[in-house]
Amino acid sequence: MSKEEVLGKKPLVILEKIKDNLERLNEKIEVIIELQKHDHKETLQPLADAPLDVMTLLSMPDHLRKTAMTVCRCGRATADEISSQTNRARAVESAYLNQLVLMGYLKKSRKGRKAYFTADKETES
Amino acid sequence: MGKIIAVHSYKGGTGKTLLSVNLAATLAKQGKRVCLFDLDFRAPSLFAILKLGKADYYLNDYLNNTCDINKVLIDMTARIGGKGKFFVGLANPETEAIRDMSAKDRKWEMHALGRLLYLRNALLNDGGFDYIVFDTSPGLQYSSINAIVAADLVAVATTGDRSDVDGTQRMLKELYNLFEKKTGIVINKVLDFNVKGRQEELYDRVKNTYQVPLLGIVPCFCDILRAEGNFIFAQDKPDHPFSKLLDEMAKKIDANEVK
Repeated sequence: MSKEEVLGKKPLVILEKIKDNLERLNEKIEVIIELQKHDHKETLQPLADAPLDVMTLLSMPDHLRKTAMTVCRCGRATADEISSQTNRARAVESAYLNQLVLMGYLKKSRKGRKAYFTADKETES
Repeated sequence: MGKIIAVHSYKGGTGKTLLSVNLAATLAKQGKRVCLFDLDFRAPSLFAILKLGKADYYLNDYLNNTCDINKVLIDMTARIGGKGKFFVGLANPETEAIRDMSAKDRKWEMHALGRLLYLRNALLNDGGFDYIVFDTSPGLQYSSINAIVAADLVAVATTGDRSDVDGTQRMLKELYNLFEKKTGIVINKVLDFNVKGRQEELYDRVKNTYQVPLLGIVPCFCDILRAEGNFIFAQDKPDHPFSKLLDEMAKKIDANEVK
């Protein structure tokens, strides 16, 4: 690799890393904002691999149920995909999805720059 | 795009199975490709109504992830006739299977919901079916709520019984509405159907008490009781008033009149 290529690529890699970290930070801030809005701090008890069954869906606050049900229907989806089905802003869906992850109901995995959310690893999608 | 219909009720004995079988058969007779599933795992009855013997695979096996849905489907098109297709998937009626299904935990129920949701892809999107009809068990059973979550439309069978009216009203608020489901009411076993003012009274009840669209009012037919579950009215008695009512219900559903 030439000197120019190294010099040219390094700042780009660093900038992309900063952008990724900012996105992650943004997701966390969105969760905090939504928690403040709905005043549901007590629901944010991290549970290890809590099953997202229908009784759990029934007992959820309305705003989270809508997101959780959409993930169940999709099997695996990004915040963008959920947002297009619920007609709510992507940032709002991202916050709800991350809240559900923290509660142990959803799993989050990253593929490249995209974050995917799943309700059940074994469900066909 | 196909549609999933869950036939549900608050109480038992409201006519869910009669309605499910005949609605599915009516849709098939009208040229639709229909799959009817018995989701009443605690009291399976489709095998008896359709006079089917032991099946190789049951819906239980599909939900347990031990077979593909195509293995569960039994082709009953010849029994119904008409231009459509009519397939059924049975619940296992053996006592051991009923016991097994009653003892499932939350995690299993979550997987079962995933398997039911997957039917939309497997049968409606890829399989070319127009309708899936779920015959459910009454009340707040896991299998029934799973079916409701997976469905596009819930047809709620109810009677004039006071406790049934009260329970149905609560389910509308606390179950179907929470899941944002389109819901249609079928009032079954109506006495004095032809007495002046009776039908208006029932329309008012649906409008004021249930506040959801009415799918149909079914009078209490002695012929249905006399049949003792031996007929599929939609096929065997096409000129019977019950079959005519089912025709209207199927047309309402097909025309998306239940909003």
